[in-house]
Amino acid sequence: MSDIIAPTKPAAVEAAPVATVALMDQLPSADIRAESPLYHADLATVAKQGPKTGGVTLQEHKLLGHLVIRGNQDNAGFLAGARAVLGFDLPTQPLTAAEDGALSVRWIAPDEWLVIMPGKEAFELENRLRAAMSGHVAIVNVSGGQTVLELSGPDARAVLKKSTPYDVHDRNFPVGKVVTTVFAKSQAVIRRTGEQNWELVIRRSFADYLWLWLQDACAEFGLVVKD
Amino acid sequence: MSQKNRLASGGRVDRAKALNFSYNGRQYPGFEGDTVASALLANGVDIVGRSFKYSRPRGIIAAGAEEPNAVLQVGATEATQVPNVRATQQSLFNGLVCSATNGWPNADLDLMGYVGKVGGRMMPPGFYYKTFMYPPSLWETYEKFIRKAAGLGRSSTERDPDMYDKVNHHCDLMIVGAGPAGLAAALVAARSGARVILADEQSEFGGSLLDTRETLNGRPAAEWVATVVEELKQHPEVLLLPRSTVNGYHDHNFLTIHERCTDHLGDKAPAGQVRQRMHRVRANQVVLATGAHERPLVFGNNDVPGCMQAAGVSTYINRYAVVPGKELVLMTTNDHAYQTALDWHDAGRKVVAIVDTRQNPKGDRIDAAKSRGLNIIAGSGVIEVQGSKRVTGVSIAPLNAAGDALAGAVERLGCDTVASSGGWSPVIHLSCHTGSRPEWRDDVIGFVPGKTVQKQHCAGGINGTYSLKAVLEEGARAGAAACEAAGFSDAAKGISLPLAEEVREGKAMALYHIPHTKPTSRAPKQFVDYQNDVTAAGIELATREGFESIEHVKRYTAMGFGTDQGKLGNINGMAVAAKSLNQTIPQTGTTIFRPNYTPVTFGAVAGRDCGALFDVNRFSAMHKWHLANGALFEDVGQWKRPWYFPQGGETMQQALDRECKATRESVGILDASTLGKIDIQGKDAREFLARVYTNAWAKLPVGKCRYGLMCGEDGMVFDDGVTSCLADNHFLMTTTTGGAPRVLEWLELYHQTEWPELEVYFSSVTDHWATMTISGPNARKLLGELTDIDLDRDTFKFMDLRQGDVAGVPARVFRISFTGELSYEINVQANYGLHVWEKLFEHGAKFNLTPYGTESMHVLRAEKGFIIAGQDTDGSVTPIDLGMSWCVSNAKPFSYIGKRGMAREDCVRTDRKHLVGLKTREPKTVIPEGAQAVNDPKQPIPMTMLGHVTSSYYSANLGHSVAMGFVRNGHNRMGETVFYPLADGRVIEAEICNPVFLDPKGERQNV
Repeated sequence: MSDIIAPTKPAAVEAAPVATVALMDQLPSADIRAESPLYHADLATVAKQGPKTGGVTLQEHKLLGHLVIRGNQDNAGFLAGARAVLGFDLPTQPLTAAEDGALSVRWIAPDEWLVIMPGKEAFELENRLRAAMSGHVAIVNVSGGQTVLELSGPDARAVLKKSTPYDVHDRNFPVGKVVTTVFAKSQAVIRRTGEQNWELVIRRSFADYLWLWLQDACAEFGLVVKD
Repeated sequence: MSQKNRLASGGRVDRAKALNFSYNGRQYPGFEGDTVASALLANGVDIVGRSFKYSRPRGIIAAGAEEPNAVLQVGATEATQVPNVRATQQSLFNGLVCSATNGWPNADLDLMGYVGKVGGRMMPPGFYYKTFMYPPSLWETYEKFIRKAAGLGRSSTERDPDMYDKVNHHCDLMIVGAGPAGLAAALVAARSGARVILADEQSEFGGSLLDTRETLNGRPAAEWVATVVEELKQHPEVLLLPRSTVNGYHDHNFLTIHERCTDHLGDKAPAGQVRQRMHRVRANQVVLATGAHERPLVFGNNDVPGCMQAAGVSTYINRYAVVPGKELVLMTTNDHAYQTALDWHDAGRKVVAIVDTRQNPKGDRIDAAKSRGLNIIAGSGVIEVQGSKRVTGVSIAPLNAAGDALAGAVERLGCDTVASSGGWSPVIHLSCHTGSRPEWRDDVIGFVPGKTVQKQHCAGGINGTYSLKAVLEEGARAGAAACEAAGFSDAAKGISLPLAEEVREGKAMALYHIPHTKPTSRAPKQFVDYQNDVTAAGIELATREGFESIEHVKRYTAMGFGTDQGKLGNINGMAVAAKSLNQTIPQTGTTIFRPNYTPVTFGAVAGRDCGALFDVNRFSAMHKWHLANGALFEDVGQWKRPWYFPQGGETMQQALDRECKATRESVGILDASTLGKIDIQGKDAREFLARVYTNAWAKLPVGKCRYGLMCGEDGMVFDDGVTSCLADNHFLMTTTTGGAPRVLEWLELYHQTEWPELEVYFSSVTDHWATMTISGPNARKLLGELTDIDLDRDTFKFMDLRQGDVAGVPARVFRISFTGELSYEINVQANYGLHVWEKLFEHGAKFNLTPYGTESMHVLRAEKGFIIAGQDTDGSVTPIDLGMSWCVSNAKPFSYIGKRGMAREDCVRTDRKHLVGLKTREPKTVIPEGAQAVNDPKQPIPMTMLGHVTSSYYSANLGHSVAMGFVRNGHNRMGETVFYPLADGRVIEAEICNPVFLDPKGERQNV
């Protein structure tokens, strides 16, 4: 017989009040220049001067608000608070997403979701979520650390097949599915947003590499950049 | 020049499309649909190379992947050179340039050939081991000539102009081989709606049906092939991959396929097209329909050009309309090979004799030969071939019933071609890749796939099933079974297989090695493995020398080591070894095969992961500024960090001196965005920190920062950094740049497996914050111009943090220092990083704000004796060894990771290697990092080494070198001298000292 020492659960305590975390509105006034992770690539000019037709279209949805929400699904106060603020349930079914207009939520892990919204709304949403949710919860603003790319067009799937070992066939990757996986030598949160539309959430420091990768991978199909 | 061996009609070549190609500098014609091999044979080219060891002339033997001799160097330009291309697999295109790989100076007239002729017996197996082993110093001299003589081909010395690619697939069924079995399986699977990939190494689907003269539904078999392929193309879930060799079958039904997309079109891929593509397939079910390779027989001089595999001869006649000779002698142990004599005869060339090793052969094909009046010599074998650059005749002799001794007088026959067939060897390579041991079957006279742990089905020749009717049925059955297993249940419905002819065949004879009048060791060379020049005599010698395991025989003789992986020779070699050891083939066992089935180009392996995409380059939000300001970059993990910023014609040292002095005298700025940053929230965050860091965290107030060390369970330091208390339940941890992912994993590992009861969440915010550190006596003045934060020295103290605006952007500012100067680390959301950075420079000009990179950062921190985890630690040092016992708290209520490790007997010794400062006697001398300390430089080698230098720089601020390093018992030897003997003979003398060289009281950072 081996001795199994059960982890001692600390005595339950009241929900942590909001003041126990450092809240910070991180956005300056609108006149200060913001540079998305692909700012240096000047996609606006590429869009203007580059080809207008091709098998793949790439668009950066930049400077959006990105919040990571962490919480336990057994915590009713967490799920109810999220519902009250978002207006819909957090998707608890693995690999799914939920959205309402410009507000979208991706399941990342059993206790982790990625919420994306217009950049200016992130701080207010964080505040409302913190106020509405109780128990052990974390919300982290990661807006500066990632960006959203949309790949679309008849050959978008072929580009994904070059880039990720995950199965992107209709039977395995229907519209609405979300997968966090390997993408080239980096990673991406991939969400299928339409028959021929795929959303990639990528990290800032990898953005230049992935931009190079995507240009290369799309070359044989013709790449159209949309501003 | 005419194609003297080309038939006027027939075959699958397109005579309307004439092509020209060059072989060994001469021009030859061919047709579209040819392989290089069929075109060479059509033109009567007999010699395609010289053998590996004896340099004997060699000709084309086979028509497929099993060809051992026709291994060519292909490429019209230096940049497009490809070595190791099998002529039998390379489609002909106009302008193709190729040459024999081995043959020095050329294949026809080969100086090395004299070694083979004169000194044949001088090169037994193990020759290289035995001869070139000693003295070891001369190996490099030998190697040059051996490599040249061995003819391994050469790679291009220029950049490959072509594009290569990789693509991932998932499917329900992966079918390998598009012969009759594979096509039948594919048809069943396609109709079931399953996702199917069908790959075949040849340019056309059909396999043996492309050169058979058997019919299906009374029509040429190729017509059925065309119908099936047409249907398969219509199924949206079917992917057809011709010219695609399934080269590897790995664990979990993962397969790698090498597709040659444009190798048949030209020397270079057409613009914009991918030349070769690696398909990475994850299959639910795998159907192996890889067929079988015919085994040639082993007899004297069986390598003389003109000696061929019987089935290969038939392929050349039927598929390419090429008869590779005028007068044929066929030797066979079985009925099937009679077809070669029939094909030869029907092509209008002379069959001299069919030499059948069996005493009384009977069957439909034998009757067909008799009805054509062909000369069948039963119960005999070809014991020896005459000729050197081409067969001129054979010696035949009667065999006893067992085939192991001659039973009569030798007779000579004139001929220019000898086709032989010893039966068929199932192509079990892929099955073996997964670790499955093959099983011998006496009825098949070959190995078939054994038990497998994969979801694998086999059909057709790979199972030793050779009648067309049975092959089709097996294919359909395997397809249906695989579909069923993949969840497509009613697959086999509605499939009607075409009607195949029934051919009555007599029993084949299990014979591999034809006896000679002389013992094997004295008989003319009887080749088993052509590519490595392994003979029957060599294998017998190996067994006599005590190599009884087939694996040892293989390694001693090099049998099966070539790029052909012993496809033709392995079974014959095992048979020779078995006979010599007086046991059966299954008792002798078999070697098994590893990936790859045929050679794969590096291009296909690399795919697009080359050039700028070879590895990820990570950049900070300020990278553009660094580029514009002339930074040179250092790789730190995947990050490109500014290394230093040279101005004008500065040397590196001049740039570092300037950067370091400017920082200490006024203010410098470092892009610290790459440091790992982890946001930690939860009511147990503080407790968690106390458990993963070695020091105490319970009392760290909100708004304060603290340095911490992290150890592994063994008590050895693996990372460090500053963690700040943002709020009671909210912390921001920083890690080293390279250690960030590992630290986050480490925290998650301990949280998820050891302390799940602690309420804490970790999130990486490395990319979210842009971080810039301004450091130096004027840092406060500079920041003061840009922020609303109160920077008063008494309210915003060292190791405090504040929140406020910097250059109009909300920021967190940490007063922490890695230089020992007054420093502020400014963090803003990364989208605004460059804006703030540029504003700092707008205001910094009057303070001579100087950007510095990682190298100056290293110098500045070394002046202060601050360690860098990973440079001054190597996984074998405790905090105590580093002299950082102040950073260890054993008073914590819960233990912490590394506490027990540090308490081990060896870790509490007081004379371990300690990190100390090192002051050189000669102040300007910089000890090379890595140099080893000794007490006595005159001690004879090997000296007693005390520890190495970990960090060493010239300090412009101090005017002398500064170094840190490990010295055994160093903490107890302050002021003593150690010596660093260097490889160039110099000895550097240094005094052991405190590693804090500058401002030991820390007054500069507390201003």
